[in-house]
Amino acid sequence: MGKKEIYPIVLGIFILGLMRGPALGSEPIRIGYLQSDIHQLACWVALEKGFYKKQGVDVKLAGIFRAGPEEMSAFAAGALDMGYVGEAPATTAVANGMARVRILAQVNTEGSAIVVREKANIKTMNDLRGKRVAVPGHSTVQDFLLRKAMAKWNIPMNEINITVLKPPEMINALRTKQIDAFIAWEPYPAKAQTMGVGRVLLYSSDIWKNHPCCVLVADQRFLASRPAEARRMVAAHVEATDFIDNNPEEAGRIAVKYTGMDPESVRLAMQNVNYTYQLSIEGEKEYVRFLVGLKYIHVKDIDAFTRNFICQDILKELVKK
Amino acid sequence: MINVCKTFSLDREKHGLEVLVDISCRIEEGEFVSLVGPSGCGKTTLLKIIAGLERATRGRVLLDGFEIASQTDKVGLVFQEYALFPWRTTLQNIVIGLEIMGVNKKERLAAGMEYVNMFGLKGFENRYPCELSGGMQQRVAIARTLIMGPKVVLMDEPFGSLDSQTRNDLQEFLLDLWQKRQDTVLFVTHNVDEAVFLSDEILVLSKRPARIITRFQVDCPRPRDRTSVECNIIRREILSTLRGERVD
Amino acid sequence: MKFERYILPVFLLFLWQLLSYVGVIPSYLLPSPIRIIFGFKDLMFVGMPPEHLLYDHARYSLYRVAYGFGIACLVGIPLGLIMGWSERIRALIGPLIELVRPIPPLAWIPIAILWFGIGIKSAAFIIFLGTFFPILLNTISGVVAINPIFLDAARSLNAKEKDIFFKVLIPGSIPSIFLGMRIGMGIGWMTLVAAEFTGVKEGYGLGYMIMTARDIQRPDEIIAGMLVIGIIGLFINWAFGALESKIVRWR
Repeated sequence: MGKKEIYPIVLGIFILGLMRGPALGSEPIRIGYLQSDIHQLACWVALEKGFYKKQGVDVKLAGIFRAGPEEMSAFAAGALDMGYVGEAPATTAVANGMARVRILAQVNTEGSAIVVREKANIKTMNDLRGKRVAVPGHSTVQDFLLRKAMAKWNIPMNEINITVLKPPEMINALRTKQIDAFIAWEPYPAKAQTMGVGRVLLYSSDIWKNHPCCVLVADQRFLASRPAEARRMVAAHVEATDFIDNNPEEAGRIAVKYTGMDPESVRLAMQNVNYTYQLSIEGEKEYVRFLVGLKYIHVKDIDAFTRNFICQDILKELVKK
Repeated sequence: MINVCKTFSLDREKHGLEVLVDISCRIEEGEFVSLVGPSGCGKTTLLKIIAGLERATRGRVLLDGFEIASQTDKVGLVFQEYALFPWRTTLQNIVIGLEIMGVNKKERLAAGMEYVNMFGLKGFENRYPCELSGGMQQRVAIARTLIMGPKVVLMDEPFGSLDSQTRNDLQEFLLDLWQKRQDTVLFVTHNVDEAVFLSDEILVLSKRPARIITRFQVDCPRPRDRTSVECNIIRREILSTLRGERVD
Repeated sequence: MKFERYILPVFLLFLWQLLSYVGVIPSYLLPSPIRIIFGFKDLMFVGMPPEHLLYDHARYSLYRVAYGFGIACLVGIPLGLIMGWSERIRALIGPLIELVRPIPPLAWIPIAILWFGIGIKSAAFIIFLGTFFPILLNTISGVVAINPIFLDAARSLNAKEKDIFFKVLIPGSIPSIFLGMRIGMGIGWMTLVAAEFTGVKEGYGLGYMIMTARDIQRPDEIIAGMLVIGIIGLFINWAFGALESKIVRWR
């Protein structure tokens, strides 16, 4: 091979190396989940019990995130193939053209709560007027729920001071009176209770019954190039979700390991979460409508958006079996 | 009243190095005395001791019969590098001594302006040193010292960094002032012509460790002619003394 | 000709816009200049998060920086003057300063939250740490570097120690103090965005605005926000320079 032939080869390898995108063939599947978010227990169960291996897929944990929007940024950067994430941040990212993912299955419904200080004189949503409430981030499910609650109780948007805090900091901020309330995913509300720092003002089911919360999403390029593996990931997820229903004790132990929290908080937390893989089209539309109302996103055709966003085929096939 | 600055057997050791040895002299009120010597021989150190900025290892300096250390406010010092405070205007530099003494603003400024005029600095009183020529800066420095009315004025090669024309002008200016004010001046220089032109008496110092080699009385009448025969004779004598000092 | 300096940047901007338009630069990696301009418009009139306008974010951030910077001056300048003046005090406090100085301000964030909560004080504290050391060290060196001849001149004019301190040391070190303030302010402004990660109770701040733009996946607003921060920083530096030339006229 003379010099002339080397150049195109080197150039080709260089360009190949620059290309992002799904790994070729036998590369492990990169997944992500939210830190200590007990909604995503199915993922931990699947990891611990080897359900992914059982399905014949090689999985690599490529990120643990402090809140949904951070995980969506990772998708935007092409760093994840599939992930467990909140439906609201996923919707925002896709609607704003940042990440190209599709929802393949539900992960849970409900499972958040608004927590106030144990001894505070706050009995209803209305008592939160003029107070400061912390959310894990803008356009998270919890941010969404808080504003939905405000709308439900007719509290104007500017009458509650919404502050962004990462959930690990919320309990301490509540205790030291930096904030008057927080809304977070389980097990943080449970932990606040077992620590004697706070009590629940409202469960998320009180705000919106059966509201969808976390979803299992897949990067579109991954989905297009490795559909068989994507299907097997969903199958593992279904098996893990059933496992939680049938083996709550063992699932609880796995939750303790991954959240680093005590068994009592974990047990209390799991009571507030409904683990299911059934998709909710109406639920997603509700998210889109609300996010548009908040001016976080602009979506003209909500039905079309939802149809493109949620992929029902894989789940339907699996459940039929 | 005698206004006398006497330096008795002054020794000064700096870092184990003998700088001055056995300096003794007596200066009468109203006299203009020059100290001449090779560079680096310790003339500046001597002035600093007299001014109270440094201490002699041995010996005493008396002013009017009392230790000069307790009367440093009666001694003024003009530096070769002018040492004007760059952040103060001409006027502010001139009056700083009065300010330190606590004189009130009105009086300070009045006295200051008087000296501004006296020293030909009118129009420059609000300028900063960086805006003045070398000659003007030195005039400000001298004014700053003289306004305090010191009994003894020490001058450490004040015209050393000026060009010869400016130097000559300032020498005449200084003499003019001196003749009106009758200050007692101890003037350090390594320029023999300058010493001969200005002084009543010239002390010649040896090289380090410095001692007084000779004293010359300059009896030429004033106003002096730099090129006069008597001046030349004295100049020649001093120069040959200094030349002797240079032979190592 | 002055306009020559703009040729290259303008050309690059055109190139960038073109590449974005044809898709060579994907919009999720780097928005086009035009999108960024629209993002800037949104920051100003729609707000990020919505209802929180750019002008208010800037106000709060400037206030936080002024707070931290102000305290750094109040503590750093007098301390620096004293430490410059007295070798004993310098030897006493110096080692402690040298120990704390290398710790990056951002490493203090968890402690700042514990001590000061999640409001303006903790952000101001981080900014204080960034601005304090340049101010202190430049003040000290300003005093130490004063030409000894000024001290001699002052003493020959009967100045006592207190006169020297106020009439020589302080005016003489002002250029260094200004330099320290300028450097400190630059660092303080740069630390701002990260300092606001400590939690921004008030809901306003340029760092918070950028964080939120990230949460809501608006990279055009992120970059527009970054540009605003850069421009304000530039302006602050210029203002300091102008102030200095007014006050220090004797250079």
